[in-house]
Amino acid sequence: MTRHTGSDDETDGIDGSNRDGRTNGDDRCGCGSSPQPNVPEIGRDERPAIFVPDDGEEAGTAAESSAADGRTGSPAADAPRTATDGGVESATGGSDSTELDPDAYDPIDVFPEGDLDLRDGADSCYKCTSCDTSCPVAEVDDEFPGPKFQGPEQWRLKRKDDHDIDESITSCSNCMRCDDACPSSVPLSQMHNEARGQFVEEQMEKLSLEYVRNRILANYRTSARLASVVPRLSSFAMNFGPARWAMDKVLGIPKEREFPEFATTTFREWWRDRGGAQVENPDKRVAYFHGCYSNYNTPEVGKAMVRVYEHFGYEVMVPPQKCSGTPMFANGMLKDARRHAETNVENLIEAIGDGADVIASCTSCSMSLRQEYPELFDIHGIEDVSDHTFEALEYLRIHEDLNDELAEARPEDDRSFAYHAPCHARNQGLARQAVETFRDVDGVEMEDVGDSCSGISGTYGWKSEKYEKSMQIGEEMFGHMEDAEGEVGMTECPTCAMQMEHGTGYEIEHPLQLLEETLVA
Amino acid sequence: MDDQVDVVVVGGGSTGCGVIRDLARRGLDAVLVEKGNLTHGTTGRMHGLLHSGGRYAVSDQKSARECIEENRVLRDIAAHCVEETGGMFVKRPEDSEEYFQEKLEGCRACDIPAEVIDGEEARRREPYLARDVEKAIVVPDGAVDPFRLCVANAADAREHGARVETHAAVTDVLVEDDEVVGVEIEHDTGPGKRVHREPGTTEEIRARYVVNATGAWAGQIGEMAGVDVEVRPSKGVMTVMNTRQVDTVINRCRPKGDADIVVPHETACILGTTDEEVDDPEDYPEEEWEVDLMIETLSELVPALKDARTLRSFWGVRPLYEPPGTGTDDPTDITRDYFLLDHAERDDLPGMTSIVGGKLTTYRMMAESITDHVCEKLDHDADCDTADAPLPGSEDFSVLRDYMEEFGIRSPIGRRSAQRLGSRTDDVLGGTDPNPVVCECEGVTRAEVRNGIEEAGSDLNAVRLRTRASMGNCQGGFCTHRIASELAAEYPGPVVRDAEDELYQERWKGQRHALWGRQLSQAMLNHLLHATTMNRDGDPATTDADVDFGAFDAGPAGSGESAGDGSSSDDSGSDDSPAGVTATDGGLDATGSPDATDGGIDGDR
Ligand SMILES: Cc1cc2nc3c(=O)[nH]c(=O)nc-3n(C[C@H](O)[C@H](O)[C@H](O)COP(=O)(O)OP(=O)(O)OC[C@H]3O[C@@H](n4cnc5c(N)ncnc54)[C@H](O)[C@@H]3O)c2cc1C
Ligand code: SF4
Ligand code: SF4
Repeated sequence: MTRHTGSDDETDGIDGSNRDGRTNGDDRCGCGSSPQPNVPEIGRDERPAIFVPDDGEEAGTAAESSAADGRTGSPAADAPRTATDGGVESATGGSDSTELDPDAYDPIDVFPEGDLDLRDGADSCYKCTSCDTSCPVAEVDDEFPGPKFQGPEQWRLKRKDDHDIDESITSCSNCMRCDDACPSSVPLSQMHNEARGQFVEEQMEKLSLEYVRNRILANYRTSARLASVVPRLSSFAMNFGPARWAMDKVLGIPKEREFPEFATTTFREWWRDRGGAQVENPDKRVAYFHGCYSNYNTPEVGKAMVRVYEHFGYEVMVPPQKCSGTPMFANGMLKDARRHAETNVENLIEAIGDGADVIASCTSCSMSLRQEYPELFDIHGIEDVSDHTFEALEYLRIHEDLNDELAEARPEDDRSFAYHAPCHARNQGLARQAVETFRDVDGVEMEDVGDSCSGISGTYGWKSEKYEKSMQIGEEMFGHMEDAEGEVGMTECPTCAMQMEHGTGYEIEHPLQLLEETLVA
Repeated sequence: MDDQVDVVVVGGGSTGCGVIRDLARRGLDAVLVEKGNLTHGTTGRMHGLLHSGGRYAVSDQKSARECIEENRVLRDIAAHCVEETGGMFVKRPEDSEEYFQEKLEGCRACDIPAEVIDGEEARRREPYLARDVEKAIVVPDGAVDPFRLCVANAADAREHGARVETHAAVTDVLVEDDEVVGVEIEHDTGPGKRVHREPGTTEEIRARYVVNATGAWAGQIGEMAGVDVEVRPSKGVMTVMNTRQVDTVINRCRPKGDADIVVPHETACILGTTDEEVDDPEDYPEEEWEVDLMIETLSELVPALKDARTLRSFWGVRPLYEPPGTGTDDPTDITRDYFLLDHAERDDLPGMTSIVGGKLTTYRMMAESITDHVCEKLDHDADCDTADAPLPGSEDFSVLRDYMEEFGIRSPIGRRSAQRLGSRTDDVLGGTDPNPVVCECEGVTRAEVRNGIEEAGSDLNAVRLRTRASMGNCQGGFCTHRIASELAAEYPGPVVRDAEDELYQERWKGQRHALWGRQLSQAMLNHLLHATTMNRDGDPATTDADVDFGAFDAGPAGSGESAGDGSSSDDSGSDDSPAGVTATDGGLDATGSPDATDGGIDGDR
């Protein structure tokens, strides 16, 4: 995580009080009588164009918190000012980023309608161009000016009344590799997300087919929910020749792509039929954020998650949830994403109140809950959700002795895999976790196919005009997969999995499935 | 005296540029001489505030009235040099309420539109304002680009037949029979556009009248003519921030004091300033405490400034003038008004008038009054039209266009170009194809840079002033060489190299005052890039020493046995790739021996 350097204390504090039972969920999410500083009272859509307190009370709260934070340095010692503006200070990151207080981070609205002003993020850029050289889209798309331009440069050239965003922002696939590449903590993906949101909101023709197509792709959950009512028919119809031809021509969804199969029983149906959790354990609880894909398309990943976690004695909760927002960010549909985020945060915060941590099996979902949520929205408790979210394998590696468990185990048959680390896993520091977990396990061969991008980046590769480029980006990975010993692919990301399958014809598994096979079966 | 001109104007600041334009438009044969670039003096080192007059509304109402009058004129005739930002006088709890009221009344008395808003409304308009700002007076302050303004004035003068000579210092004022009859100038590189390395020449320009518009240097020209001009130069510091924390001008509402204003300027914000008398307008200390004071005091108004990135700081000297015998001790008490000193009346020396004091905002008005005065002396009958005729670039224009379709450039780049070029946008951007971005920070394309070179010759600082290229966050680290390479088609290598050095040094000069935090990282990165990729820390082409290229190309002694050497195994192991690598590392006539690769690597250390 690039931008949450100082969050350790904060997380510990919350965990600590939670274990002691001193704090209940309500207080932490800031809806109780003592609102948390920096969790604004109202959210992005409703809040006034400019974020100023409506009354003296919030300023007062801020004052307390500033005293508590021990923020100093204001000669005038007028705490209210320091506290609120403290957020602005830390937004810039920079050389002394260890002193950042992500909790106080609160980008300021300058532009109307709650749009964020990210100009000061440009302060950290020193033009080194590392971001450009690591951008997979810039590499294959000569028309794409690259993250340095899209991010710090474009923002810096903005004046208050300049609203036009260059349309090339729609070519960014939101893989976030630039975030990872930047040595100076420039909030690149936040800048891209915000610019894309503003572009779509203000400049994109709302009735254009491109908008409609992007909105359909972004709202995958809606289509998937409808489709899975009659899964077999949907799987067939969506891949049916004439229908695909029409989709390509009219909507710009490339006919080369095969729509994923819809499962006959969704994960949630399975969960219900099974009678929910089979293990009860108030001391070890996790709330599973399955996301859309493991629910509708690959419930076997969700099932594996449940079985593995129960194997380790966890009580699994499956709170109501909507889309994590990843495809919506990538298409600039920030309003849609916000609506879904409200539901997610509300339900996850409740689970956290019950002592659970949030576990996602999709690395883009965990990325979204952890980083994009607090960067883009102020919703009650969104910071808490961020702090309590983990990827499934990551969490086990932190809390359980996986090496020990796996020392004796081996899968029924010998298996070998070509493993691809998703870009979003890389950003969370998880690129090596699958290889490290399985490399010493008897009967398992795990080969990393390198650090290139798979090229699909969620919805990016699902657009006709991007299809070629998506495959061009993926070429390196396809090649390495072919070269690898294993004939089965492995990755944590469902859309990477689609691309891997599409490019090589391999079957693709999730690390949780291998864990299940090795430990549980 | 056949080659006598009507008027010589000395000094290419805002005053001189305004005067030459007015003279030329009234049909007089005039020459402007300036020792450096246009805006080389105070005009290039000022704050960029287009005064509404609010700052003088209590202390100096005559100036305040002039300001608001000229403020309106410039919005009109110089639209592409002015950004209508609006301004505020903000009051903090510790600032005097009485003064706030005086300020408000003062503004109203001087016809300056003024509106009072509460703190919340002030923060709605400027979200980075401190939480405890209580209220503010809103006035029509603006931001003005002094470079563009002077260049446009000079261009208009030239169109009307004037001659403009930059890099031409006046070395003597010619006095014959107790009358000023012209000046002697020393061309830095010969008359016309500046070209580095061209030998200098001297020239005598005889004129019926001489106008001394040298601001803080007016005393020196006076001395050459044998008269006393008592200018009291007073320095002020300005600190440039990397981004705009505010989009309107923020003034502190209190009587007078250092560090009380933030002006949004193009992509940046400029903090200022101080007021301290100095002896020599060209040699005074630039001190760190002054910069610290700006950031610390102004972060009381805009707290985000404290941790924001600073690009550079610079100092300017005010040409304050005090009529003899006034005896004011504190320079902040000296009037901001301007004075016409007719040396015929004052010193019995006809043929020359000095103009001193004033402000950039009122430059046109000052120019009008001195041109009236000169016309009277020369018995020339013509009306002034400078208040109505738009400057070149400020004829009707709009920045809202489809830049990608029209010029093949990205919209933020096109928008910034058009904000700079105004009505010249089509002329400048059309026709250069391909038109890549040369300066990424400020969004300046090749077309604009070439246009600058056409106007200014090999003088890249003049190109910078016209385009803003190299004025962004990397301070030239990533673009000086690109800008210089645009010269290479027309000028020989050594000229290009000198021009590049000069620009790079100029950028470094201001950056020295911002070497901490992020700008320090930038400076280090710039230095290493320039040293390691362009050899600029020891470029053999800039020394006279012979370079033994042969030794360099042949690689280290004992070549031929390093095939198994770890560092080179990658390249030397494969069949044909080493030849290519060798060529780039070691020079074109390398033989293709794999070992030469090592030579290149060693040479870089
Ligand atoms: C810190 C500071 C901030 C300011 N801020 C503002 C502001 O925000 N708004 C505003 O309206 N005003 C401002 N001013 C005032 C304004 O900048 C000046 O009044 C104005 O620029 C003066 O212009 P000028 O042409 O008279 O003098 P200058 O710009 O100094 O021009 C004199 C020129 O004469 C040249 N010269 C000198 N000697 C010779 C010679 N021997 N031969 C040939 N040429 C010679 C110099 O190189 C110079 O270019 C500010 C001043 C200072 C110091
Ligand atoms: S998010 Fe990915 S595609 Fe977008 S600019 Fe960054 S690296 Fe390039
Ligand atoms: S990697 Fe970061 S610092 Fe380097 S150019 Fe990109 S945004 Fe700027």
